[in-house]
Amino acid sequence: MLLKNSQTFDPAPFDTISFDLASRRKDVIIMSSDLSKYCQVVRVKNELPDQHLDVGMAEQNLLSVAAGIAKGGYIPIATCFACYITRRAYDQMLICMGTGSGPGTNQDIGPTNIAIGFTPGIANPARIHHQAAEDLGMVRAIPNATVIDPMDPIDFRAAVEAAVGRPGLTYIRGHRGDTPNLLDPSKFNFEIGKTYKLVDGKGLGIITTGHATGWSLEASDLLSERGIDHSILHCPTIKPINEEEVAAFAFEHDQIVTIENHQVVTGLGSLVTEIISDIGGGPRVTRLGLPNIWAPGGSMTHIRRVLGLDAEALANRIGEL
Amino acid sequence: MDDRIRKLELTAARIRRNVLDICRQRGGYAAQGVALADIASVLYFDEMRADGNGWFHDRFVLSNGHDAIMTYGALAESGHYKMEDLRTINEDGGWVDQSPIEGQLGFEITAGSLGQGPSQSAGLAWALRHRGSDARVYCLFSDGELQEGNVWEGVMFAAHQKLSNLCYIVDNNDMQASGHASNVMNVEPVHDKFAAFGLHSIRISGTDIAELIDAFAQARSVTDKPSVLICDTRLWDGIDCLQEALPMAHYTAKTAVDWDAGLAEIGSVIAALEGVVG
Repeated sequence: MLLKNSQTFDPAPFDTISFDLASRRKDVIIMSSDLSKYCQVVRVKNELPDQHLDVGMAEQNLLSVAAGIAKGGYIPIATCFACYITRRAYDQMLICMGTGSGPGTNQDIGPTNIAIGFTPGIANPARIHHQAAEDLGMVRAIPNATVIDPMDPIDFRAAVEAAVGRPGLTYIRGHRGDTPNLLDPSKFNFEIGKTYKLVDGKGLGIITTGHATGWSLEASDLLSERGIDHSILHCPTIKPINEEEVAAFAFEHDQIVTIENHQVVTGLGSLVTEIISDIGGGPRVTRLGLPNIWAPGGSMTHIRRVLGLDAEALANRIGEL
Repeated sequence: MDDRIRKLELTAARIRRNVLDICRQRGGYAAQGVALADIASVLYFDEMRADGNGWFHDRFVLSNGHDAIMTYGALAESGHYKMEDLRTINEDGGWVDQSPIEGQLGFEITAGSLGQGPSQSAGLAWALRHRGSDARVYCLFSDGELQEGNVWEGVMFAAHQKLSNLCYIVDNNDMQASGHASNVMNVEPVHDKFAAFGLHSIRISGTDIAELIDAFAQARSVTDKPSVLICDTRLWDGIDCLQEALPMAHYTAKTAVDWDAGLAEIGSVIAALEGVVG
């Protein structure tokens, strides 16, 4: 389901995704908190102004106004940097957007509330304050929430489209700027929860998500050159993930490595170990990603090199296992 | 007009009785429920329009879960809740929450985390206006909540969007969990603050039916900005014999006041008004 030898980039994935969606669905409102340009909400803002709403530099307001708009019959898609939309406004995400739908609430099917966090993890060059290294862990702790970390413009688009039809809170990590086209849209069929085996091998199994799926594919080429057989499982849905598929993949392999653009604490690595340890007797899991230290700033290329997450370092670390 | 006022005064008295009846079971935010009874009477029985299907065309957003007791007292009077159910409030395994979750009848939002009503109601008002509805949105919050930044973010948004279909009601009772708001963290001048944010600000006692009717009408007549009714209520307003529980009456424990005395006093008020209204 991967494109062959693709070296193309989508310069502004969400600009097209949001414009196409808002053109088709007049009940969708794209919301910003002073970062429309920096989340690439340009065409909707300029060409569909009735469907764009900016609440100013106020992330708590972004999510609480969004929740009010949802109760008024619209589908809000709140956009901001991942760090602010989760850390700064976590209570509004949980209480205002997250308590109106599903088991344990008063409504089986409540309003749809969507939040998209851009430049997650080390995709933002400004260290610490602009880097959301804990957003997946925070949001996956919210009951009934849906959490998606897409790998490229194709599954990002599919995730947004799926979220619009889904009651309750959905949090999606967004891609911004030149984003590599990796998936073949004619062969990739997105479903919430489903996992995707991108490389089929034996022995070593890599489980990955989001930006790190691209990193894993880079490392995969080096591993193949070195004769290290391996598989790669892409997990765009962090919650509710298909645990049976993750477990089946894990138990097919002797050694599991998780790779994520997120702290190894509470993120995908934690999730995979939870699934496997609940069953017991599974393979060893090595968690690669952002360590529980303050990451440096700068380009993603630089930060990956410092943290041992560039293709060469990943291949070396995996090869040493 | 006199008959309309007397009827609403009677309804307010009955709401006060319901509040005492409910709170005497296991304690509760009785002093607030009693003090807000006049606002609840005018809001639910005069100001908000019916939808023709047994509910309201206009929308009420309760921002502070503590004041759910006001809504319970009013919706028991309208027949939407049964007193026998409400008397189970906070019972282990029961369904009547002291501070309800979004989607329970009469509760638009999950309101226990304070300061989130002003912006959610503003979003709701924006959406209703956007879709061409003439429904109005009312949102009640407390002066203690004015210490939350999210309140002022919502107020700023409402003013910027000129949401004239939105009417805030501030329960300005100078009381929060740790004591008088004026001692804990002064929020005054409340009227000037809202006016400076661009709202049509009206300051009233909050316990006079005629004054409330006028204030809501005035808010409705404003076409270019949201309105706010700043209501200077005081805990236990409307029941004299329970004033002794003041000043520290944020939460009233089951054993803190003489519920029978309060019910006897409000029973006399109800009897007198029933004689007038007929």
